[in-house]
Amino acid sequence: MPDKVAGRRRRAAFFLALPSLVVFISIGFVPLALVAIWSFWSFDPETYWIKPVWSLASYTALLKNGRAAVLLQTAGLAALTATVSTLLAVPAATVIGLLSGPRRATLLVALFTIPFFTSGLVRAFAWRLVLGREGVINNVLISLGVVHTPVEWLLFSDFAVVLGMVAAHLPLAIVPIVLAFARIEGSVIRASQDLGAGFWTMFSSIVLPLIMPGVVAGFLFVFVVAIGTSMEIQLLGGAGASSIAIMINDVMRVVNFPLAFAIATVVAILLIVVIIVADRALELSRLFEDRGA
Amino acid sequence: MTHSGRSNPSSPIRSRLTRRQLVQRAAVGAGALAVGTLRVPRAAQAANEINFWASGTLDIGDDGWKIFANESDVKVDFTDNGNDPGPVVARLAAGNASDIYDVGGLDGGSERELAKRGLIAPWDLTQIPNYASVWEWAKNIPYSTFEGRVYGIPSVINADSMIALRNRVGLVDSYGVIFDRTLRGKTAMEDAWINSVIFTAIYLKNSENAKISEPGDLTADELGLVMEFLIKHKKDGQFRTFWNGWEQGLQLVANQEVWVMTGWEPIVYAARRRGLDCYYAVPKEGYEAWCNNSILLKGAVDRKRSKTAHQLANAFLSGFYGCKLGALRGYAVPTDNNVAYATAHARAFDPAAVKELSEHVKAKFAGKVYWQNTRPANFQLYEEWWQRLRNA
Repeated sequence: MPDKVAGRRRRAAFFLALPSLVVFISIGFVPLALVAIWSFWSFDPETYWIKPVWSLASYTALLKNGRAAVLLQTAGLAALTATVSTLLAVPAATVIGLLSGPRRATLLVALFTIPFFTSGLVRAFAWRLVLGREGVINNVLISLGVVHTPVEWLLFSDFAVVLGMVAAHLPLAIVPIVLAFARIEGSVIRASQDLGAGFWTMFSSIVLPLIMPGVVAGFLFVFVVAIGTSMEIQLLGGAGASSIAIMINDVMRVVNFPLAFAIATVVAILLIVVIIVADRALELSRLFEDRGA
Repeated sequence: MTHSGRSNPSSPIRSRLTRRQLVQRAAVGAGALAVGTLRVPRAAQAANEINFWASGTLDIGDDGWKIFANESDVKVDFTDNGNDPGPVVARLAAGNASDIYDVGGLDGGSERELAKRGLIAPWDLTQIPNYASVWEWAKNIPYSTFEGRVYGIPSVINADSMIALRNRVGLVDSYGVIFDRTLRGKTAMEDAWINSVIFTAIYLKNSENAKISEPGDLTADELGLVMEFLIKHKKDGQFRTFWNGWEQGLQLVANQEVWVMTGWEPIVYAARRRGLDCYYAVPKEGYEAWCNNSILLKGAVDRKRSKTAHQLANAFLSGFYGCKLGALRGYAVPTDNNVAYATAHARAFDPAAVKELSEHVKAKFAGKVYWQNTRPANFQLYEEWWQRLRNA
């Protein structure tokens, strides 16, 4: 009898998931698979089109003209952005998820999503006015006598890029951690307090392990978005600063589709590996525990 | 009864929606979405209507096109082509651009390749009487002809150099200032090989005696020399940034983020309006000349719209368009018909200002100029080198 019930539940779950599965396969997996296949085709400069002549030329080209270095730099920059965002998101999410009532929590979440209200271009451009030679920060520093000439590295530098990306993507790190907080039973926290644990002890030994899957999810959200970003890098990075998205755009301009597809395939594989490693090492799947049983 | 129906299992709205209905409605919704994304076929084009696919700077706005239609009997449906020759050529060669548009407008250089591939048709100059009024030297632009036939009608012409802040760098007359080590981190170039490579080549040819024969069409060796020079200076931190687009260019100058940079003349006018003491340098090495040409797309000929397309090309040179474009963007159409039109329509345009713009552009071309070429023979190599510079 229990077997019958479980079977019926599995069938129901399958049929419920079927529409999403079809959508995922048709607009998610199939295009990705085609991109991977076409990355091995050849580009025909005569017709400006791809032809089904199998070749590794695009992958060889990936190692030329500094493209491999840009892949690594972008991954590094995305990892740094994700790390800084996550470090800032944990205390912010703690205030929202642990120390605030429902109304204040809602208000705070809304405040943190303000960066999404404006376009990325405007947001990144605004940083130029803040970080530039004649910008707000330099003017304050000079008027306070802290420096006598404008600080050059505030703008058109990796510092500016990371700052711009963290400001833009921080909510992506906060929300999963807030959701992880929502899964913590109040009785667990009360029990630790009854046993005499102070805030830091309770936080480090009870709360932090419980929200860790949310922390990892937040990190991954920011990492995945940051690795595909070009706006902040183009507007705030140094002369001709490049990124994976800019590199893809460059080769798409000359309709070298196989090379663009090869770059996209490598990035997709990198992201899948990162997610698998995160799941294995940091138990991302705990976010979904006691859901699927 | 609740109006939201949310979390209320007894809601009649919720209870009446069976699974079958839900699936049906979802299917209808998905179908509607799919239909919505399909391209609705264009309504039949009127005989005097032209689909003009050109650089955004050639757009004179709805009001302008309305007057243009009244004066020329050609109704223009304008679409911005992004002004990047790479994707434009690709869309003509492998896309549907020729099925949609009749006339193109893009910076000169791509005509030969497009003509060779049969993607554009030559203009019949007998159908463009105003062509006779085009400034003589503007008729002799290399790249706009192929096998003796004219494929590009010059619609906007200018010559570019550097924008400089007088209080920071004084009066400069050489591109050398862009690479001057004492100005490290305070100079910039455009993030496009189409302009930045030729500026550097002009400098190296004239001031560093580099063996470069045609700065607008570099051989592989010449290109390597120019790009290695740029990469070295990029690595040394010479450039504050490579700028991209009008707003960014203007902001860099207006906020004194850079003190001197290669760029477009209208940036100077806009910066001056913000109270900056900046000027457009007269470089001893010469200007980078450019021309935005009208090209007749093969599709227009196939659709028998060639006559209207010629009417359009003729109307561009008839005076109103030149006056309007000059007033809007400070760009010159290379014909004296502009001055004649402004004189005859002094209430709409200031004849003195129109004449001043014409004379200003003519004066630039009285000196040394090198023509920009958006499609040099080593075009793919240019792209590769520019990516290498970016990634360096």
